[in-house]
Amino acid sequence: MKAIILTNNPMILNKYSDFYLVEYIEESLMTVLTKARDKIHEGHLLLSHPLSGSVKPNETIYKSVIISQEKGTLDMNSLMIIESSIETARKFIGMKEAPLWNKKILEDFQEIDYTLIASAIESMKQFK
Amino acid sequence: MRLELGNIYINDVKLADTTKVENGVLYVNKEELLQEIGGDEHIKSIDLELAHPGEEVRITPVKDVIEPRVKVEGPGGIFPGVLSKVDTVGSGRTHALKNVAVVTAGKIVGFQEGIIDMTGPGADYTPFSKTHNVVLLIEPVDGLKQHEHEAALRMIGFKAAAYLGKVAKDLTPDEVKVYETEPLFESVKKYPNLPKVGYVYMLQTQGLLHDTYVYGVDAKKIVPTILYPTEIMDGAIVSGNCVSACDKNPTYVHLNNGIIEDLYEKHGKEINFVGVIITNENVYLADKERSSNWTAKLCKYLSLDGVIVSQEGFGNPDTDLIMNCKKIENEGIKTVIVTDEYAGRDGASQSLADADPKADAVVTNGNANETIVLPPMKRIIGTTEHVDVIAGGFAGSLRPDGSIEVEIQAITGATNETGYVTLSTKGF
Repeated sequence: MKAIILTNNPMILNKYSDFYLVEYIEESLMTVLTKARDKIHEGHLLLSHPLSGSVKPNETIYKSVIISQEKGTLDMNSLMIIESSIETARKFIGMKEAPLWNKKILEDFQEIDYTLIASAIESMKQFK
Repeated sequence: MRLELGNIYINDVKLADTTKVENGVLYVNKEELLQEIGGDEHIKSIDLELAHPGEEVRITPVKDVIEPRVKVEGPGGIFPGVLSKVDTVGSGRTHALKNVAVVTAGKIVGFQEGIIDMTGPGADYTPFSKTHNVVLLIEPVDGLKQHEHEAALRMIGFKAAAYLGKVAKDLTPDEVKVYETEPLFESVKKYPNLPKVGYVYMLQTQGLLHDTYVYGVDAKKIVPTILYPTEIMDGAIVSGNCVSACDKNPTYVHLNNGIIEDLYEKHGKEINFVGVIITNENVYLADKERSSNWTAKLCKYLSLDGVIVSQEGFGNPDTDLIMNCKKIENEGIKTVIVTDEYAGRDGASQSLADADPKADAVVTNGNANETIVLPPMKRIIGTTEHVDVIAGGFAGSLRPDGSIEVEIQAITGATNETGYVTLSTKGF
């Protein structure tokens, strides 16, 4: 399936921009999620879970979400999942914001986000 | 399939010249153990420390916890596909050293988690404050990538547990429990009037630090399948999951899964426990759809009357949990889900990231956002320098006196979603 990766993770941009349409959003995790929701309203399908990983949305600052390149009618399942995910992320960030991490920890979070999305891409590209 | 599980109760662990069990004491030859588990080119050093219940000791950051077991009779060996050949395990006889655990500790990534306090208020939240712990502190070579580091640490833990388990091979167990699951048709013939109950066992499978292995296979690559419950008692499922300390299933919990134990307890009396369906929790949504379709299909195929579904982890797996529940219920099968909650520090927020009216029977194992103050301990095994960056911690979590204020999600096993924990909620 032709896909768009919405991400604020520079590692995703470096690793995947030659193969996929990467929409790099140099903003917060929350902004990536709300952009994904906007795209779903436009008719894109959600392809990866927005709360990928057990790292909490107020720990990591990185998020990558895969959506379809093609647009159809609004997919309610996609909308339900992104809305619940936004609600959950907001709950966590409301409790406490992610700290100002040092460079090494930021790189670890980039790597985790990358491997989570890589596992989705591996599933996606079988037979595609 | 019939397994005799011989339990050998250990009441102390001590270092000695020979590794053996005598009068309920496990003696460990540290040098021999370190030699047995060493040799990985990725690892600079391994050290061993003991931690006993009631001691003023804090272990952190904890990765995996493993119970020593050994295969005594029957095909295969412990941890098939990982340490042993891929023979189908779960029959014959296995011995377990009870009240003992191998605990692996080490810093794989900069943000870390997993606290075991052996005494004080934190000890009440982790089952591993009640075990005599053989703690392995594992230091990687400089510049080692996170993948290789996690894999090396994982294998060292299994090897140490297998090394200790070997001493149990020729011992006479204090008790022998027998677990038996007949082939489906025989079981239905034997218990025609009992409701057929299955267990859908969800495994964490999202990527680096979030993986689980079945007979050595990365479980994100499986489609749901059926296991005899006793296979799991022989280490068919092992953990590579290092994130979300409170609700990940350490290998110890896979070996001692409480839902399986309790279903066996009622087997042949109130229910006919026919087996375990394992499934995964992938990131790709089509995988979730496929896997939940298959769990529902297998439940229907087995003509189950009731199903228990347990979850592992937070967020993404909430969607798998609800998909499984909804689809199994849609097959006309009564379903109970077992989970934990992230309901905010006051417990008033929405608990899960997904929901459905069909999920009307829920067992919760506690609210991971609850906060706790852990008093200072005399001895730290590992390091608390990462506590400010621990899951559930925050800037200032580690106070000057050594006490720590954290959410209970930082504590290993605090809200375990198979119920291997003391927290629960009663009510309707």
